[in-house]
Amino acid sequence: MSDRLTLEPPELGPADPRPRLTLVDGVVLASGSRCAACGHAIAVVPPRCPVCGGDTMEGTSFGPGATVFTATILRIPVPGREPPYGLAYIDLDDGPRILVHVIDSASDDDGDGDGVAVLPLRPGGRVHLAGWTEHGDPAVRPSPADREDAP
Amino acid sequence: MTTETAVWGVGTSLFGKQPQLSAPELTWVAVLEAIDDAGLAGASAIDAVYAGTVFGDPGVAQRALQSIGVTSVPIITIENACASGTTAFHEARLAVESGRYERVLALGIETMTAVFDGAIAPIRSDAEGAQGFAMPSIYGMSATRYVHEFGVTSEQMALVSVKNHRHAVGNPRAQHSRTVTVEQVLASRMIADPLTLYQCCSIADAAAAAIIGPRRSPSHPRDVPIRSSALRSGKLWDQRSSKVWGWDIVAETAALAYEQAGIGPSDVDVFEVHDAFTIGEIVTTEALGLCELGGGGRLVESGHTSIGGPQPVNPSGGLLSRGHPLGATGLAQIAEIVWQLRGEAGARQVDDARVGVVETMGGGAAGVDGNGCVVAVLGRS
Repeated sequence: MSDRLTLEPPELGPADPRPRLTLVDGVVLASGSRCAACGHAIAVVPPRCPVCGGDTMEGTSFGPGATVFTATILRIPVPGREPPYGLAYIDLDDGPRILVHVIDSASDDDGDGDGVAVLPLRPGGRVHLAGWTEHGDPAVRPSPADREDAP
Repeated sequence: MTTETAVWGVGTSLFGKQPQLSAPELTWVAVLEAIDDAGLAGASAIDAVYAGTVFGDPGVAQRALQSIGVTSVPIITIENACASGTTAFHEARLAVESGRYERVLALGIETMTAVFDGAIAPIRSDAEGAQGFAMPSIYGMSATRYVHEFGVTSEQMALVSVKNHRHAVGNPRAQHSRTVTVEQVLASRMIADPLTLYQCCSIADAAAAAIIGPRRSPSHPRDVPIRSSALRSGKLWDQRSSKVWGWDIVAETAALAYEQAGIGPSDVDVFEVHDAFTIGEIVTTEALGLCELGGGGRLVESGHTSIGGPQPVNPSGGLLSRGHPLGATGLAQIAEIVWQLRGEAGARQVDDARVGVVETMGGGAAGVDGNGCVVAVLGRS
């Protein structure tokens, strides 16, 4: 059973290292910054650009669209989590590569979070930021045409 | 003027889940074998120690070494993920080369069953570890990408496991000394798609050691010259990276090591490489220059990397079958190459092995192409 999807922003502590999402007018975006000098995009806001050393990292947001670089389904126990769950590296449009959980709530007939399938994703497929897992992880849903089981 | 260096002696414990043995007990076996193998009068001949461990308690090296008389000398403990042992080896070699010390013990210690019941738990302070991103999943990611991009098949990945299990049958110290078939590998339970259980290393307890010193003479029968070693940490791995995680760090570290040794990959007779997961060996053999990008699946399928083939990879059984006690792995790889180059590898001996390469890379820090990678070239010119 995969994780459930929620649009309720989790309360992440200040030391929580996971990528931060924001909900803007019903659209889920990823927070981060872009270097004013070289344009490098990153999912945190460091004091200097890790690529060119520029000291103007402008806070911005990315997404919701993204392309899958690669993906897997983890099926072993991890403390505090119930396997299996889908994971993917996604390249946010004109933005950074981040790790996300994959939730196929399209398979959840009554929307109660039960019956959510673990979905394999194919590299190159399109996804969009969809919210958070109940553990507070950033989560994506595949675009319908990019489901691996699509005809 | 730098000093030419050599491995004087090596030693290891057995590999496997050995909760009945403490870190000191495993260490005594490895270090005393290495001391005897090096022809040292005793532990008091050691000038300094570089110890690699990932999950060892603070003070694990001092706690283990005192009872066999390695005291009072500098002991430096290193954590560099799966490359901890080879990082200790690299630093020991540099210490001898620079003249800082003469007889240095490079040591790896790991007792994973004391820490974990199953797989290594993800690091919660890491951006990906905090999402439950256990190590098998990063290699599952690489495998998915390789299936998509290069058409690597499940059977090719399984063949890495089949080969390394077969090699381990000749290694009496190995954790998994039995053969498996492609069908058995693919039928074992799924761990991180598309990787199945027999494509993933187990946790293990072990210690491994090497004594490094100046090359005693060109004709010394026991010395195995160290022709080079290189250490790098990963560059940023992000949206600009077209290759899978870990490819570039291995390629760049290997290029440095080959250049220092004055050789290319075709000059190498035997390799010990980081195959914690089957796809890891496929990626690594490409990055080490044994074949082109995307050709690693066909390489293992061709038999090129089997004992009896032109360039055997992981004659010890590798991490998959000898075992992967993280901090001890690098020095177990060094020990295997030393035995191979001396012609002491028994049933798994590679014919006419004169030049050997060790490669270890470790990860776990999100955002970079690996925490660290070491590539070392051993053998006579």
